Amino acid sequence: MSLLLDPWAQHHRSRPLHRVNPLALMAAVLPALVALVLVRDLATPLVFLLLATGLVAVCAHVARPHRVLVFVLPTAFVLLASLTLGLWSAPAEAATTPVLVRLGPWQYHLGTWLVGLATSLRLGALFAVALVPGVSATGPDVVRAAVQHLRVPYRVGYTAFAAFRFVPRFGHELATIRAAHRVRGMAGGRGPLAGVRRWAGYVVPLLAGALRHAERVALAMDARAFGAHPTRTERHTVPLRPSDAGFVAAAWAVTAAVLLWAPDLLGGLMPAVPGA
Amino acid sequence: MSAPLLLRADHVGVRHHGHAGFTPSDVSLDLAPGEVVLLLGPSGSGKSTFALTLDGLVPHAVAAEVRGSVTVAGLDAGTTPVARLSEHVALVFQDADASVVTGTVLDEVCFGPENLLVPAPEVLARAEDALRRVGLWERRADDPAVLSGGGRQRLAIACALALGAPVLVLDEPTANLDPAGIEEVYAALRDVVAAGDRSVVLVEHNLDACVDLVDRVLVLDRRGRLVLEGPVRDVLAGRAEELLALGVWLPVATLAALRLRGAGVPFAALPLTGAELRQALDAEETLPALTPAPGAARVAASPVAASPVSVAKGAADGPVVRVRGLSVRRGRRTVLHDVSLDVRRGELCALVGVNGAGKTTLLQAVAGVVAPPRDTVEVAGLDPARADVRKLARHVGFVFQNPEHQFVRHTVAEELAHALEVQRVPRDEIAARVDDVLARFGLSAHREVHPFLLSGGQKRRLSVGTVLVAGATVLALDEPTFGQDRERAAELLDLLDQLVADGTTVLVVTHDLQLVADHASHAAVLADGRLLAHGPAADLLADDVLLRAGLRRPPLAAALSGLERHAAWRSVTRLQDLPGGPPTGSALSAAAPSGSAAVGPAVSATAAAVGAGAGGAARAGGTS
Repeated sequence: MSLLLDPWAQHHRSRPLHRVNPLALMAAVLPALVALVLVRDLATPLVFLLLATGLVAVCAHVARPHRVLVFVLPTAFVLLASLTLGLWSAPAEAATTPVLVRLGPWQYHLGTWLVGLATSLRLGALFAVALVPGVSATGPDVVRAAVQHLRVPYRVGYTAFAAFRFVPRFGHELATIRAAHRVRGMAGGRGPLAGVRRWAGYVVPLLAGALRHAERVALAMDARAFGAHPTRTERHTVPLRPSDAGFVAAAWAVTAAVLLWAPDLLGGLMPAVPGA
Repeated sequence: MSAPLLLRADHVGVRHHGHAGFTPSDVSLDLAPGEVVLLLGPSGSGKSTFALTLDGLVPHAVAAEVRGSVTVAGLDAGTTPVARLSEHVALVFQDADASVVTGTVLDEVCFGPENLLVPAPEVLARAEDALRRVGLWERRADDPAVLSGGGRQRLAIACALALGAPVLVLDEPTANLDPAGIEEVYAALRDVVAAGDRSVVLVEHNLDACVDLVDRVLVLDRRGRLVLEGPVRDVLAGRAEELLALGVWLPVATLAALRLRGAGVPFAALPLTGAELRQALDAEETLPALTPAPGAARVAASPVAASPVSVAKGAADGPVVRVRGLSVRRGRRTVLHDVSLDVRRGELCALVGVNGAGKTTLLQAVAGVVAPPRDTVEVAGLDPARADVRKLARHVGFVFQNPEHQFVRHTVAEELAHALEVQRVPRDEIAARVDDVLARFGLSAHREVHPFLLSGGQKRRLSVGTVLVAGATVLALDEPTFGQDRERAAELLDLLDQLVADGTTVLVVTHDLQLVADHASHAAVLADGRLLAHGPAADLLADDVLLRAGLRRPPLAAALSGLERHAAWRSVTRLQDLPGGPPTGSALSAAAPSGSAAVGPAVSATAAAVGAGAGGAARAGGTS
């Protein structure tokens, strides 16, 4: 149903997000994505995570098999990763915060968890915000919009698009190669070195298959006049309407508002992240 | 000139870079409107290459030296861009997967005309017309990936139609399809031809499927020269012996008639289709007696005692493969339901069924590629669910569809040594056994070559060799003839015959039912994950269980089962069961005597040697 999950899906255009130009969707979330890389507090990513997920829930159609991925995965990731990420990077100040868990001499501090939470929230929020265009735009529309409005040469756009088709094929081919190598007794050995060796063995057959396939695809596209003219007929245009500009403006305004006020208004309710 | 010239090839020769000779070397063709021309020739004669020159892909997209000229609608194909030629000549390739670019059936058909800047309303009109002609209009919103193999190839034909080109070139369009898919594609193509607005150039080995469609035949010899040309009947029936001598396949009905002529059945003209064969036989008052069921004779004669192979305990008399109540689930779907099956030593058992019937799943469970549930499968006394990979590999070998997938080393010799090294066989014994298999599989000259650089047939032999060198007495092959031409397929099947004669047990998944008829001792028919029938191949192929499984009778069985007279002949499925014919060899060597003359000495020597080789390998396996 979407660019990220299933690039070819057709959309029912019932929900408003699917009617927005894909380029507008991308432009709308771009400032939020940049901001999320930079912020260090807890409130800002939390607000973005909630807003993005809410927007998708209300204004987009998410096919049933993808609902867990869209609505549960970001939050689950935030909670799980928060427990471990802090262990890598907690600054010395964390040691002065209350102890949550004690295992013999080892202590897990509240500050450690908060440092982890700040990072995992940012990653989770990035993912949730990226899902807004991700679940709303279809692959062909992104290519069409990019060709029509960004002057991306259609040869580049459609070639990239054809490359999408390779992905499931490779997945299947890789599974077969792994089974074949296992049968031949290549599964032996543990540890990273054996793993690297195993994967190195998959590369040659996988590449050989990929090159052959790519060659055939190229021939088949040439045989159907791909690249014959500087432009090609587009049956549907993906117009940029005033409403798209409005959507982008609104999204940017919301982003600015969150960045300006969320730390101050909500920050008071949240514990300070050590070292932030 | 009365009619406009669509396409003319004038003494065309093509030399690929790095190759010494031109294949094709000298082919001329004038295509008339509405005409269907079939291009025949042994593999390596350059048929596909010639097909690619017709719309300029050779030399524009595939760099090669072209001599002679191709003229398409007055344009020189050597200098006109492919994109312009594609308005006049449209191609359909063997691998339908490789031609899918977009996400829906409709977008796919529109892709070509859109590239040609056809106005949008006309693009849609053409797409609808093309999709309706191949029966896919109702599925226009589907992802091409969910279509069946036959459906995807019909889509490829629709894409070619939508380009609006008056000439269609199809390069082995059904080589990757199951029998139902082949029928689908030819039904669609028949409609296209009947409409009369397209000329067709067809490269196809499966003559039984296409012969009734063809007007004219061009025959290339092994060196790529045009040696025969004429109306389909004059060439295929009138010059049948010459074609056989060239190593070209013939329709099964024609082969059968040639054989029967030898037994004194008079044919005024050789038949090309099953219906013609049937009519000719029904016109006879009496026919010579059938040779006594060679199928049974062969199974009985399988020389169990001929070689001192030591088989795992208790397997000598009982079944080598025993499957009991095997069910396999994949995700929420049950792909195999309660399958029980016995395969005895020295049988060649073919697993047949339409795509998705569960054939490969069953084969993989038997060979332990995907571990089956415990206590459902026993192979050579081992349960693949428990046995460790190395121990299992000593008894059962799995040959994947694409040989490249199972190559793990950098030279042919290492590849063969691999299985033995894994089993920690002493070094000098490894060397001896590798040399042995290299010699017997005709690979001695290539021992230091990287396996990926071998030819297609050599790769296939190596992949069989790598599993036999470890001493496997059970061989499982997954669609080993998929996408290969008949000659390669025949070479492999001859090799399997030799192994079976020597006591190896073979299980093979295949779509080619005539090959099953000619080589398998037994067959198991699967449909929707259930085993519909299992028994001697000759019985099953004459039974309507094939139809219930969504399959088709192999061409000979289909032709003879409809006989009105000669009741005893109705259940004949194999060419070699017919009286007459050359006194020695299988139907395949009978069918292509010069095949062995030209690929030749090497192949038949290989086949003969491999038989011995399997015994040797198995013996060696037994002693380790």
